[in-house]
Amino acid sequence: MLRKEQSDLLTQTGPGTPMGRMFRSYWLPALLAEELPENDCPPVRVKLLSERLIAFRDTNGRYGLMDEFCAHRGVSLWFGRNEECGLRCAYHGWKYDATGQCVDVPSEPEASGFAKKIRLRSYPLIERGGVLWTYMGLTEPQPPLPEWEFISVPRPQTFTSKRLQDSNWLQAMEGGIDSSHVSWLHRGDLNSDPLFKGARGNQYNLSDARPVFEVVESPGGLYIGARRNAENGQYYWRITQWVMPSFTMIAPRGNHSVHGHFWIPIDDEACWAWSYDYHPQRALTDAEVAAMRDGKGIHVRYVPGTFRPAANKDNDYLIDRGAQKAGRTFSGVHGIAMQDASLQESMGPIVDRTKENLVSTDNGIIMARHRLLRAVKALADKDVVPPGVDPAHQKVRSAAIVLPAEVPFADGARDALVARPDVAPASV
Amino acid sequence: MQTESARMSSAAEARFRVQAPNSLPRAIAAIALDATGRAVIERLAGAGWQHVTFFTALSPDALRDLSGDTRSLHEEVSATDLVVFVAGPGGHAHAAPMIGELCSERRIMTTALLVGATSSTEPEVSRTLAQLRPWSLMVVIANSDDYIADMMTALRA
Repeated sequence: MLRKEQSDLLTQTGPGTPMGRMFRSYWLPALLAEELPENDCPPVRVKLLSERLIAFRDTNGRYGLMDEFCAHRGVSLWFGRNEECGLRCAYHGWKYDATGQCVDVPSEPEASGFAKKIRLRSYPLIERGGVLWTYMGLTEPQPPLPEWEFISVPRPQTFTSKRLQDSNWLQAMEGGIDSSHVSWLHRGDLNSDPLFKGARGNQYNLSDARPVFEVVESPGGLYIGARRNAENGQYYWRITQWVMPSFTMIAPRGNHSVHGHFWIPIDDEACWAWSYDYHPQRALTDAEVAAMRDGKGIHVRYVPGTFRPAANKDNDYLIDRGAQKAGRTFSGVHGIAMQDASLQESMGPIVDRTKENLVSTDNGIIMARHRLLRAVKALADKDVVPPGVDPAHQKVRSAAIVLPAEVPFADGARDALVARPDVAPASV
Repeated sequence: MQTESARMSSAAEARFRVQAPNSLPRAIAAIALDATGRAVIERLAGAGWQHVTFFTALSPDALRDLSGDTRSLHEEVSATDLVVFVAGPGGHAHAAPMIGELCSERRIMTTALLVGATSSTEPEVSRTLAQLRPWSLMVVIANSDDYIADMMTALRA
């Protein structure tokens, strides 16, 4: 259970809110680079942290992210013309450059200098690893640029998708660190999904359905270890990384790619679930990429032309009661991502945490809330930079590893939990 | 027409959720296994908890409550739904097996909280983990002891 005022604090991320300020301390994924595929391409509407924005790529390839609405009469610049290094409003021709500066007001004499007095709120937008990142804080200097490993490896080694989720970011993110649901909701997918099956570690999962969990504070967030019995009295550990505020990396399986998520608030009742897959040492195969595009693993199929999952609440998630009854899926929903999303959306836009009954295995969630609340308060009261901003906190890996029984996993897997170029991930 | 899933997951529909209580209180025993744990629970105990009883492990079959009275381990543990072990690094959690075995027999959930790990050595943490792991269904290694209050609140203590 979480008190209402604490839940409100963590779930509200609009301008002027404490959690909104915390999110605005980070570089956040805003768009896939493919959404702005070429210079002078059509602009794209973006809503992040309850702010309506427009993204565009100008004639020189410069990315812009700014207030969606023209300062003149409030028209959406989505209708604008992207031409000659600026976005021109379709109504009266006011034109803005990539910084939000108005550069032309056709109805006013150029000599009047009126255009210089008009500027839309804008945020930096940069490309890293096929993702466009923005920093929505208003304080300088900007934080160091993002250095997550999935955007640092060569492009053939990484694949990122995003999907719309109709729920607050926190209940989505909490699903990502709730390791105990995997043995239930996702049972069956380990042996059938092409991006998971065949790993030796799967046998540990299947032979020991009741893992024991350990939660350890890390510099950037948490290590969440799930422990199962292995040979010779040793333990098989699956260690998930959570880095504040909303990055997770799930433990790998065999030589499959490593994957995880970002949950980024759109507003308080919707979020983007970003899903990445990468391999630190090799290019993804054509078959792997095809499977990811086909919605396997942690990815989804889309409603064509959108980032909305094809299985969504408007079609009851294509629930298959026959598959549920036959045990092919536990909930009747196909695919790991939508198995999670369907249940998290069913909680309502913002789940009422005053009514929940948490148990011991929920300590990952409890600790994450505890750390978030502590960081929000430290930022608000003392301007303490929150964990996760430091690039050292971002150079992390999850791990699947067999260790002697008495070893603290955070020590036994210390090297494996750090991203090092050209070093193989610890995976079983 | 909206599907049932779309309609029922809306904010408007959340107003119609049943407001009746959906759980009975759980009895929690927080048991300090060493001096570090004892200091933590003594600080914590003043916060006005409704459903937690605080003890220090005393001997193989006894606990001491915060008023200094000796209590039967068997009776106290048997009356709880959850036992929370609290210990520091160093391997002084010698009572864990006795309490853990009793919990195992009675099917009582156990959680271990190891506090102060950042200011200790790996062998010290290892020694305590070796004592706690066989008897704990959840282990939390926290940098500071303020976590336990949030954990108790989350568990409706």
